[in-house]
Amino acid sequence: MPDWREIARRRLTPLALEAKRQEEIIAELADHLEDLYSDLVRQGKSEVEAVQSALSIAADWDELRREIQLVANEEVIMNYSLGPAGKRRFKTLWLPGACTIALSGILLRLLQIPSAPSPHVFWPQHDMPFIIYWQWFVCLPLVGGIGAYWSRHAGGKLLERALAASFPALALMCFPGLILPFMLVFQWIVHHNPPLVPSALFLLGWVVLPEAALLLGALPFFRGDAGESRPVVASH
Amino acid sequence: MNGSVVNIGTQVKRGSAELAILSVLADGPLHGYQIAKSIERQTRGLLSFNLASLYPLLYRMEKRGWVKGTWEGPVGGRRRRYYRLGPAGKRRLVPLREEWGQLFRALNRLAGVTHA
Repeated sequence: MPDWREIARRRLTPLALEAKRQEEIIAELADHLEDLYSDLVRQGKSEVEAVQSALSIAADWDELRREIQLVANEEVIMNYSLGPAGKRRFKTLWLPGACTIALSGILLRLLQIPSAPSPHVFWPQHDMPFIIYWQWFVCLPLVGGIGAYWSRHAGGKLLERALAASFPALALMCFPGLILPFMLVFQWIVHHNPPLVPSALFLLGWVVLPEAALLLGALPFFRGDAGESRPVVASH
Repeated sequence: MNGSVVNIGTQVKRGSAELAILSVLADGPLHGYQIAKSIERQTRGLLSFNLASLYPLLYRMEKRGWVKGTWEGPVGGRRRRYYRLGPAGKRRLVPLREEWGQLFRALNRLAGVTHA
């Protein structure tokens, strides 16, 4: 019996693959050749004839090497652009998160058109008036729910579902979260009177309360395993 | 013109090979040699695979999640890599069968080509 692994290795390598993957491929091809050889011997061929036939029937080795390398390169390109974990996270976090940001942004924009109901403005004369769009708040649980549902449906874990639902509040936090400390320091240096209360209210109205509303809507989708909401799976 | 003919030919070949592999794996897990023999037997030798046509396609299908390969055994003293249908492959098989059925019906209407 020939050493099929050695034969496959000699004809196939070098391949630009990880050593482990290359060995797996060689082992698999060697198994195939050995099965073919055994069948040919069973059919009455001599061992020498069976080896020659197996090698000639089995493969165009140049094409095989080229094709395997091509598949491996496609894999490398895919993994480089977005690795397996990245691809999963894209579906379970970034995509639903982008959806919740877009939805909340569109809702907020709609409420800012002239014919929309006016927002509630506290301390309108102040430098930092406190503006609340109640209608936006009412819709936020629905937005959070959509984000968490989408994430769960895509196989998202609990944290990913929560983050996907919270994207609008997180985005709002990033903006004032970065600007506010500088502004407060500036106000303290110039006026010795930083607007602490308005800043806190700003954070409350645009980050804390929206976050709470988003998570409230997401809450029902924190239960259950990833993918549980798929109707096909649920019906079986 | 020539390029598009080659392209169609390649696509038809790859498409039919994918359908053949998914179809035999729908009956249960098989290793590479069993896949090739099973297709050859069921098509009475009309479709046959060699290493170069089978394994790159299997690896490509595995990457798409259509099939999943796992080392099992030892069977007969050797560990073997068995392939089974993945969820994406099960989903793909139904429309693929339908598409090929439509193609054969269309060719039949056009040129009297019937199923083999």
